[in-house]
Amino acid sequence: MKLIVEQLLNGLTIGSFYSLIALGYSMVYGVMKLINFAHGDFFTFGSYLGYTLLVMGTAFATSTLGVWGGMIAAMLVAAIGSGTLGILVERIAYRPIYPTGRLPAVVSALGASIFIQNSIMVIWGARPHAYTSEVVPDYIMNIFGLRINLLQIIILALSFFLMGVLYYVIQKTTFGAAIRASALDRETAALMGINIKLIIFFIFALGPALGGTAGVMVGIYYRKISFIMGWNYGLKAFTATILGGIGNIHGAMIGGLILGVLEMLGSTYVSTAYKDVFVFLVLILVLIFRPTGILGEKIAEKV
Amino acid sequence: MMVNSENRKANKFNTKGNWFVIIVIVSFLLFPLVIKNDYIIDVAFFFGIYTLLGLSLNIVLGEVGLFDLGHMGFAAIGAYTTAILNTTFGIPVLVLIPVSAIAAAIFAYLVCSPIIHLKGDYLCIVTIGMGEIIRLTLLNNPFGLTGGPNGVFGICFPSIGNLLVIDSCVKFYYYIWIIIGLTVIALIRLQNSRIGRAWNYVREDVIAAEASGIDVRYYKLLAFVIGAALAGVAGNIYATKLMIVSPESFTFMESCLLFCIVLIGGMGSIPGVFIGAAAISFFPEIFQAFAQYRMLIFGAVMVIMMMFRPGGAWPRQRGKIQTESIIIRAEKSEI
Amino acid sequence: MNRIKLILIVIVILSVCLSINVLAQQAPIVIGLQTPLTGSEAIEGEMASRSVETAARMVNEKGGVLGGRMIKIEVVDDACQPRAGALAAMKLVSMREVVASISTYGSSVTQPASDIYEKFKKVNIAYGATGTGLSERGLKYFFRTCGRTDTQGIFFAEEVVPYFGAKKVAIMHDNTSFALGLAEETRNALLAAKTADLVYFDAITPGESDYTVPLTKLRETNPDLFYFTGYFPEAGLIVRQARQIGIDATFVGGDAAINEDFKRIAGLEYAAGCYQTQEALIQHFTNPEAMEFKAKYQEVYGDLPSSPWPVYAADALMVLAEAIDKSGSTDSDVLVDYLKNKMVEYPSITGPIGFDEKGDRVGTGINLYKVNADGSDSIVQR
Repeated sequence: MKLIVEQLLNGLTIGSFYSLIALGYSMVYGVMKLINFAHGDFFTFGSYLGYTLLVMGTAFATSTLGVWGGMIAAMLVAAIGSGTLGILVERIAYRPIYPTGRLPAVVSALGASIFIQNSIMVIWGARPHAYTSEVVPDYIMNIFGLRINLLQIIILALSFFLMGVLYYVIQKTTFGAAIRASALDRETAALMGINIKLIIFFIFALGPALGGTAGVMVGIYYRKISFIMGWNYGLKAFTATILGGIGNIHGAMIGGLILGVLEMLGSTYVSTAYKDVFVFLVLILVLIFRPTGILGEKIAEKV
Repeated sequence: MMVNSENRKANKFNTKGNWFVIIVIVSFLLFPLVIKNDYIIDVAFFFGIYTLLGLSLNIVLGEVGLFDLGHMGFAAIGAYTTAILNTTFGIPVLVLIPVSAIAAAIFAYLVCSPIIHLKGDYLCIVTIGMGEIIRLTLLNNPFGLTGGPNGVFGICFPSIGNLLVIDSCVKFYYYIWIIIGLTVIALIRLQNSRIGRAWNYVREDVIAAEASGIDVRYYKLLAFVIGAALAGVAGNIYATKLMIVSPESFTFMESCLLFCIVLIGGMGSIPGVFIGAAAISFFPEIFQAFAQYRMLIFGAVMVIMMMFRPGGAWPRQRGKIQTESIIIRAEKSEI
Repeated sequence: MNRIKLILIVIVILSVCLSINVLAQQAPIVIGLQTPLTGSEAIEGEMASRSVETAARMVNEKGGVLGGRMIKIEVVDDACQPRAGALAAMKLVSMREVVASISTYGSSVTQPASDIYEKFKKVNIAYGATGTGLSERGLKYFFRTCGRTDTQGIFFAEEVVPYFGAKKVAIMHDNTSFALGLAEETRNALLAAKTADLVYFDAITPGESDYTVPLTKLRETNPDLFYFTGYFPEAGLIVRQARQIGIDATFVGGDAAINEDFKRIAGLEYAAGCYQTQEALIQHFTNPEAMEFKAKYQEVYGDLPSSPWPVYAADALMVLAEAIDKSGSTDSDVLVDYLKNKMVEYPSITGPIGFDEKGDRVGTGINLYKVNADGSDSIVQR
């Protein structure tokens, strides 16, 4: 029983990271209908920015602000950095292309992803780097006989907090309504007087920013970062988004958590080697019976 | 008067077009005789493999517009079928070409039937999932068949008895390009047939196609099956050239590259696939000198390519039948 | 006028002949290096390339080979992929001036590459491919300066397990060619030697960050010894996560698992107390060749290679230079004969080298290393 709870917690932790990245991914995807392959690389970029600030900057941030302050500073820097990169990429690689169709935009996204990934390799080197222990807090607590890392709790809480804030913004504010409207139908939303350019700016800044923050959190929690880590996370984010339902930002949140738990189930009860096979099989089954994802799509079918 | 001159123009275009095709074919045939460098001939061979794979994906993605990012999985099935049957039972490789094609086709049929009704991006993630499932299963060596990460090695060369053994770079080059030539002829005929037109109709507007009485599900499935069969053949040839198959050759990244080949060349365009495959295979070799920056430049080029030619390097020319028929009708009425 | 013209022509011809002669004498001996410069193993490729350049410099500064000819390295990238590996081998083979090749890292890439070198009769020395099957194919031109995985597996079962007095062993790998090979050899050796029970045998997916789920599963089997045969990026994460969820078993890494990067990724507090079955880390060698190599490498690049394989690549170059020089020829068959029959205990960077009939190296030993609290390593058992 204790084991199941512990494994569940592990699965949820993995899932919360997926959710964070999927959130940013789904924002772009929902409104622009663009599969942003480069999203995983915004995430990587953010974690490298955090690394540069905390570790390479001779722990300046940590010594002045303390370990927790350093973490928050790193997250802010990563968010701003990734957000800026997102807007740049949108302007250079996507804006000239998506009027011509969705598929060329996918190729462009793939090209942008390869470019960013290899730029990171050229700038920071091919070796995997690590957030050193001086900048990372490490307390292990013992609650009801379960060994829980304080960082785990903080990450989970932070993820839910960010998701909650995003939920509030999207569901309860006018701006959020504008975003949802654009996700439903971009052209009509523009006709209704919604400033689409502003919306696009916002999502391409916020989505990657969320990804960058997630990158710092992954760096702090797992400590190891490498220039290829974005690829795998990007694919999981895409899977989570589809699992939850396209265009459904909350679906991405739930999708990520479910994905983490599914991975845990596959690893524990099937075999760690076949974990991903299990996850994809479940995904295919879900899509066969619910073709628009778990929470469903909120788009009317045009006839 | 007008019609006559237009007629002459149409004729001239045809002749020019024919000359172009003849020049291309002759240069392909003479290529290994002029360039005696085995390494370059090998690169040309892999250019051929990518072309064949690109042509197979073109059917699914280019003609019908189905979002397939797991296509290497079918090639893997073909390659491993050849590898396992050849090394275990000694069945000659040439006999295994249709066997691999059928194996991949059956697999595609079984797997795609339940999911063929999915739309766009959902289909995308499912095909990604399928590709990964195939690769991971091959990696884990179920029943000791697939050799795990080391793969299966010791695959024989294609041969007809002792008479014709294809074992040198030059012979492999001709082997694959002749197969590609035959495939292209078949594909062009397919493009101009009822099936081809139905496919294009499905891509343009699924609902109108359905309303016109086209069995959309059947045509989509047909596209997957034929595309998978062709990919299986490519897998077979790949296996006999390298003499070893391993899961590393069939990753998600490779499927993405195939996707890029079709899009860079132009969706549904057969000459476009050649251009796309050339770009993908020659590019990394040409830029070997840049070492670390190789992939960086590659990514940048992909973005720039889409910026300036989003329709592809050689977009599919449509409406030629329309123009010709107008000329023919006008001709007839003049007389 | 005619006489002047004649004298001018003679001068021109003489100078041309002289320069051809000089050029021919100074024509460098080109040795190919096939290595992953891009892709997930880019770091190994970078270190190998640097090590081989350093070794070449060492040879050239001593006067080169064959009476003054300098060694020049031709590097080709194979991205650690089988197809790219085959193409890279083809590229080196098609360059007439390339005498021999040092190729490559990764058993699944080395296999098709070595087939091509064999077909075109070029000596190829692998430096980072320990798959046992590679040298069992009866190839004439294939050599390797690294060891084989079966020796390591036997060492673990027969020496390491009794050293710790362990009764239950857990083996974890990552389904790559090398790690799976080592894991299986170790399992076979354990079964044969019957020194302990195998309670866990499974693979993790490399490239991920979170292994708490499979580690929790491992913890429940209660092993005394935890052997991880994969690579250092995952090893670092696994050790830390294992300790955090309460696995107290002694952690032993295979030879790709523990290096300087591992200690950084795991964090010193978790890396201390880990053990490793290892062939050779350059830091521990004190023989003159190794000291010279370390000094020269550090002077240009500032650090040392963090895994054993790049140093084996450097050794491959030293061995080739020696073979070319002592046999007086660059012909492949002559070199093969020298390497297999006449090279006995040649003092290379990693110790005395010879080659047996299969091309395997004679003269490597596996040691058990321990990571100390301050981050340094010490040999515990030979």
